[in-house]
Amino acid sequence: MNVNFLISLVFLIQFQAFCQKEKGSDPIVFEIKNAGITVEGTISDWEYEISFDPKRLDESSIKGVAYPVSMDTGIKLRDKHLQGRQYFHVDKFPEILITSKKITTKGKGSYMGVFDLTIKEVKKEIEIPFMLTSKGNTKKLIGDFTINRLDYGIGESSIVLGDEVKVKVNINF
Amino acid sequence: MKFKTDQLLKKLRISSFIYWPIFVFPLLWGGKLPDQIVGWADEIKIQIPKVWTDEAMEDWELPNSNPEFSAKPVSEEFYYNLPERVVYKTYPVYHPDHEPEGYWEWLHQQEAEIVLDQSTLVTEEDYIKAGELLFGYPIDTLGALINTQHVRNKDFYAKTNMPLTPEGIMPFAQWVVAGKGKVYLGNLSCAMCHTRVMDDGSLLKGAQGNWPGDKAFAFAMESDGASERGVQGITNILFGSPFAEGDPHGKLLASGKEAILAAYRAVPEGAFGRQGTSILFPPQAPNLIGVKDRKYLDHGGLGQHRNIEDMMRYIAMNQALDFLNFYGDYNSIGLTKERLNSGEPIFFPGTYDRHSDAQLYALAKYVYSLSPPINPNQASQLSEKGKIIFAEQGCVTCHTPPLFTNNKLTPADGFEIPEDHYDRYDIFDISVGTDHGYTMKTRRGTGYYKVPSLLGLWYRGPFLHDASLANLEDLFNPVRLEDDYVPTGFKPHDVKTKAVKGHEFGMELDAEDKKALIAYLKSL
Ligand code: HEC
Ligand code: HEC
Repeated sequence: MNVNFLISLVFLIQFQAFCQKEKGSDPIVFEIKNAGITVEGTISDWEYEISFDPKRLDESSIKGVAYPVSMDTGIKLRDKHLQGRQYFHVDKFPEILITSKKITTKGKGSYMGVFDLTIKEVKKEIEIPFMLTSKGNTKKLIGDFTINRLDYGIGESSIVLGDEVKVKVNINF
Repeated sequence: MKFKTDQLLKKLRISSFIYWPIFVFPLLWGGKLPDQIVGWADEIKIQIPKVWTDEAMEDWELPNSNPEFSAKPVSEEFYYNLPERVVYKTYPVYHPDHEPEGYWEWLHQQEAEIVLDQSTLVTEEDYIKAGELLFGYPIDTLGALINTQHVRNKDFYAKTNMPLTPEGIMPFAQWVVAGKGKVYLGNLSCAMCHTRVMDDGSLLKGAQGNWPGDKAFAFAMESDGASERGVQGITNILFGSPFAEGDPHGKLLASGKEAILAAYRAVPEGAFGRQGTSILFPPQAPNLIGVKDRKYLDHGGLGQHRNIEDMMRYIAMNQALDFLNFYGDYNSIGLTKERLNSGEPIFFPGTYDRHSDAQLYALAKYVYSLSPPINPNQASQLSEKGKIIFAEQGCVTCHTPPLFTNNKLTPADGFEIPEDHYDRYDIFDISVGTDHGYTMKTRRGTGYYKVPSLLGLWYRGPFLHDASLANLEDLFNPVRLEDDYVPTGFKPHDVKTKAVKGHEFGMELDAEDKKALIAYLKSL
């Protein structure tokens, strides 16, 4: 047996053990103001990879991919429109990607992550504060952030629809 | 240019209060008053744009949903060679039971009187007043729709359920006196289709009209004993679109005279089979009050409306030069390109003369000046609740205040939006799923329906582009989606029931919420 092969096998196992893609159980929730009223929607189909060690933050990473085709705002035609060309254009851009670049601690299970968020091929760096707690065998990550939809070419400026979208993520792993 | 002169006029009006002696005295002293004044008046005179230029006509309209058959209008040269319309004094048409004693004889004693001299128009107000006159002026006296015999026949009123004013006036047509004893019934004034007789008998100019025009036309053809070929011929001229998928109008013609007349009769008040549209998919007569703020004209958004010139083009085209358009090689009155350009006049209503540019400007200014009546439905607790529901249900996204439209075009089912349209037009790329016939199968069809303004819903109806629903309540009633539904507004002549599909918004609300939403809609 060749050593190289053994090494690669070890790598592979490690990779699978720590970086397996998991399906998000709770949907991603987003909120936007439309005519003064907060509209809530979800993206239920998404996946994440977390490799996290509080003691080795510079080796830790969080990645996620969300599929906007699973969007639900409670009005079907609205969902279809949001998936259309002028908003998420899911036929051309089926994935929303997020990848951590740097994670720092804020103490007591709270962290600040610098992430690259890519929507419709627009990649922007954003900061996301999040909490990571563990109870028995399960860990929980909770994060909130706000983006400007116009930065990513999601729709156009509008007098009724807000620019800012609040996004809430909840991961149990 | 127009804007500048408007401003200049305003300035002059204000400043002349104080400064007019300074202006006038030196002129008097110089002894050259008349010349100077004339020159000065010329300078402040409103500049009338020339609207039918080859360049502008090229891309003012949207392409047909079947782009090979997009309308090709007559050339600038052809257009400006047409004589300008002369405006004679008109007189009201009475129901025979209400006509004052001796009125008919008196009319025949009147001399022709030309009532519009466009060289006297100077101020904006002058143009608006002239526009009002033109709005009520018929462009046809050849009996394009109805003639003297019909309106002097009582059956005409009974069979068409014709709305009248309390004085017994039928406000949709006028008597034109073109010379002593020459009393003609005038058709096709704007007022014919864009005037509403309200419940109290008052007239609301510019509102969604309630002229039962297609019923009236059916009556006319029937009482004149028109032949089958005659009925087929005129119907083809009005609506023929052989290039449309399945050629629905060809099928209608083939179904014979009785069926065609039934199709005319099926068009309700508040809709009208305007030329180039359809009696199978009749357009709702739009409310012109507030049209200044709309970016597209016609239900399919055929005409762009970027400025007053576009409105003038719309009026010129639709009164009724579109009969001279070529759609591919097709022309609905059977012209060939050689015949069109032979220099011989074409005697078809509305096509042998034209409005002058000044007349068009006046008409456009008048239409822009129309203002809504006072709304009796004031805001209440119920309507305030409805306002919130309107936002929650996402109505605001399309019917965006304050115009209650986002001024965008939505594609109809079956229409693929061409890539270049996204940059050229205002597109909201979701179909609301309403009947696609009008926009996919007519000469005016673009593949789109524009998002209509909801202003003035309280004095309008029937609703939707094809006037298929008589009441706002019906719009939110899920029963209308079923195949055994009997539409409360337009129902095609050859079916007993028909689902009114699409625009499935606010349908799942409970009865209380629907009431609140409708109360809000009626307050707009
Ligand atoms: C014989 C009936 C008739 C006459 C006459 C008529 N119209 Fe119309 N008009 C209609 C109908 C029906 C429509 C809707 C057409 C469509 O959507 O295809 C319409 C549409 C319009 C529109 C577009 C409005 C919108 O919101 O889309 C304007 C503007 C207009 N008419 C102005 C006028 C003016 C001004 C005149 C007179 C110069 C006039 N019309 C004469 C029936 C008429
Ligand atoms: C996706 C955009 C969109 C949304 C959301 C929307 N509408 Fe509409 N609305 C339209 C279009 C397009 C039409 C014209 C459809 C037709 O005639 O075929 C229309 C027509 C109407 C009409 C008839 C107007 C007339 O002049 O006949 C009313 C009333 C109306 N909408 C009310 C509402 C209400 C109330 C809501 C929310 C419960 C709503 N709409 C949501 C696009 C929308």
